[in-house]
Amino acid sequence: MTLSFTNVVVPVDFSGESPQAIRAGLDAVDDASKLHLIHVLLPLDSLSPGVLLGDTSDESRKNRVEENLTKIAEDNSAATARRAVLFGSPGLEVTDYARHQSADLIVIPSHGYHGMKRLVLGSVAERVIRHATCSVLVLRRSDAE
Amino acid sequence: MKRSRSSFAALVTLAVAAVLVALPPVCSAQHTPTEVESSDDLNPGDETKPESDFRKSAANTLREFEKQVDKYSGQAVGFIASLFFYEFAGHSEFTMKLEEAAFDSPQFSSLISSVDASLSDDTRKTAVWSVKFVRSRLSEDDAVSFDAEIAAIRDAIQPLMDNASSAVNLGEADFTITLAKGDLNQPVASVVADALRSEFCSSKLRSLSVSLKELEPGEARTFHAVNSGIPIVVAWLVVGAVFFTLRMGFINIRGFTHAIRVTAGRYDNPDDEGEVTHFQALTAALSATVGLGNIAGVAIAIGVGGPGATFWMIIAGILGMSSKFVECTLGQMYRQVRPDGQVMGGAMYYLSNGLRELGLGPLGRVLGILFALMCIFASLGGGNAFQVNQSINAVQQAFPQLEAMGITVRFAIGVAMAFLVAVVIIGGIRRIASTAEKIVPLMCGVYVLLCAYILIMNLSAVPDACSLIVKSAFTPQAGYGAILGVLVQGFKRAAFSNEAGVGSAAIAHSAAKTDYPVREGIVALLEPFIDTVVVCTMTSLVIVITGAWDINNEAYSALISDRNGAGLTVEAMRSQIQWFPYVLAVAVMLFAYSTMISWSYYGERCWAYLFGDHSSMVYKIIFVVFVVLGSVMSATNVLDLSDLMILGMAFPNVLGVALLSGKVRRALDDYWQKLKSGEFHQP
Repeated sequence: MTLSFTNVVVPVDFSGESPQAIRAGLDAVDDASKLHLIHVLLPLDSLSPGVLLGDTSDESRKNRVEENLTKIAEDNSAATARRAVLFGSPGLEVTDYARHQSADLIVIPSHGYHGMKRLVLGSVAERVIRHATCSVLVLRRSDAE
Repeated sequence: MKRSRSSFAALVTLAVAAVLVALPPVCSAQHTPTEVESSDDLNPGDETKPESDFRKSAANTLREFEKQVDKYSGQAVGFIASLFFYEFAGHSEFTMKLEEAAFDSPQFSSLISSVDASLSDDTRKTAVWSVKFVRSRLSEDDAVSFDAEIAAIRDAIQPLMDNASSAVNLGEADFTITLAKGDLNQPVASVVADALRSEFCSSKLRSLSVSLKELEPGEARTFHAVNSGIPIVVAWLVVGAVFFTLRMGFINIRGFTHAIRVTAGRYDNPDDEGEVTHFQALTAALSATVGLGNIAGVAIAIGVGGPGATFWMIIAGILGMSSKFVECTLGQMYRQVRPDGQVMGGAMYYLSNGLRELGLGPLGRVLGILFALMCIFASLGGGNAFQVNQSINAVQQAFPQLEAMGITVRFAIGVAMAFLVAVVIIGGIRRIASTAEKIVPLMCGVYVLLCAYILIMNLSAVPDACSLIVKSAFTPQAGYGAILGVLVQGFKRAAFSNEAGVGSAAIAHSAAKTDYPVREGIVALLEPFIDTVVVCTMTSLVIVITGAWDINNEAYSALISDRNGAGLTVEAMRSQIQWFPYVLAVAVMLFAYSTMISWSYYGERCWAYLFGDHSSMVYKIIFVVFVVLGSVMSATNVLDLSDLMILGMAFPNVLGVALLSGKVRRALDDYWQKLKSGEFHQP
């Protein structure tokens, strides 16, 4: 049996696992335009030189991420995928977005962090699973423990 | 862990000792009312109480003191960072304020032994002793021969000196003796200095300085000895800076004109990766470095080390240009550009990632974490408490009516500054911070002009001042100890001010838009030049020309012994132009504010490196709390704390940077060859 989905959300964090997630998302839909590539940014909360003296703003960050989303989509044969940049807490924003778009699947890579790093960074995948109202496909890294 | 506990216990013990001195009312509050009364009776000149009462009261005070020491030395709380700061910085201070009779009592030596016993062997190796005896019993009219004074000093110090015989770093000592006016004259000063020198210098101390201060009517006679040692970290920074200067083929000199061209924007390319222009990156880094270190720190260096400290400060600044070049080049090489275009870089990244490339991954990770930890504490000390503390000193000194209000007004200003910091770093009102940072170059200019104006008014004195600076850099001056001590003061305050080798500036410089890491490194070498060679030297010349460095001058001696550097600069300027202190007070507040904002970013980046971006609010709250703490802490404590923490960052940084210097040299050679062949297009 082949599972078929009409609206698939793939959170992209531009890590090494992102291309794999996009390809898995593509496998689940018959047309790349049914794919949503989204990236969640934390609102600007820094006094970096770029913010205080340069042109860094939430707007510039959003534009930059959109460029990067376009690039990663094109590089992974998903040029027609829809793209969105959101601000807020990654786990919640992903599930909210999926709900608003009536998505039927979220494909998310798990970084396989463990120990201290997991404790500190938490797991976006965990939060997505907890809050999602649709199916969630968690891609495990081959070297995850 | 055990070592850290014992060190912490020692630290607590010493801190308590210092607090007991700083807050005499607290000590007397522990006495019964009768004892408080008898304590009041100990004012100089009041001889009404029988001697036996006096001894009894002194013994009580001593017992209370002992109890405090026992209580706190028994409390060992694990705090691993304290071990590092404490031991590596090679500085401990033990201060006592005791009544006259206490010196003769057997409890005195047992007290010293108990404090001493609480110091671990490791601590003692780098420990440096400071003893402060306040002889409140002696009246101004008492005839005291110097033989007796020296004998008392010897007896008092002997147990400490004996215990410290295994010390490897017992270096410089700084004595201040307060005596009645009649006793105070130059031949006498020489006698005392010689006696002390022959007593201690040959055997235990490498250098020693003695200065005399006139006894104010009603003031207690004091004997204050500070042995600040030769901090290993200062040697570490200097050796590092010399090494980098040689390794990079004197980039500090040959890269200078190119640095100015790059900063002027002649190589700017808006399409290069990064967030800010070269000039903006330099401004951001300067706003962190140009601060109270340039105004207060320099004055302290000259007050303690004499005019010769200026010379060594300039040398340290010039050498530091090379350190800054290497670390900021590495900051660019190993920066991480996030998907949203924000750049994250700094010593923690090049230490962990750079050393991993060399096959030293575990070492790199440890050094990266160590650096980040140090940087967090340094941002609270030198980047925060020191700035608040000294800027309030400057304001109080400029407006005497505020000084009269004492700690209340300090606390009020501290709360106000904390509020202004909080609205920016927590409230997110970035415009204020942005404006403060943007006007740093302007304020630098204003400050240099103020100083230049004073120099022009005293033009005829400038050659003499310069020759005094150079002469006293190489020849010991009466009252300022041996050359080594002067050199240490100069180097220490230069390092504290320009942060070369400390690794902090790499965080700011990594944001620059460039495809050539070396190019930003070259821009960065201007930082110690502007900070130390220009701004610090201006402060120095003002202090030297106005004579504010002279501890024998009663207008300045108290400011020097209180380490009130900002106040000293204010007074030096007031002696020339009455209203200069007001301009200075404004400049100082702005410098302090922009430095705090910049350091809060450094600290926050390091916090995020260790604990992730999500928890940085915890750090920000701690930072704001330290603004208030800094306003009410004693200047000496703040200065020591700041020194320890900022210079503590230099350990992981210089080690890592030295290991990575080969890579920087190759990149520099490649860049230089392209530059010389005209490959770089200048728009």
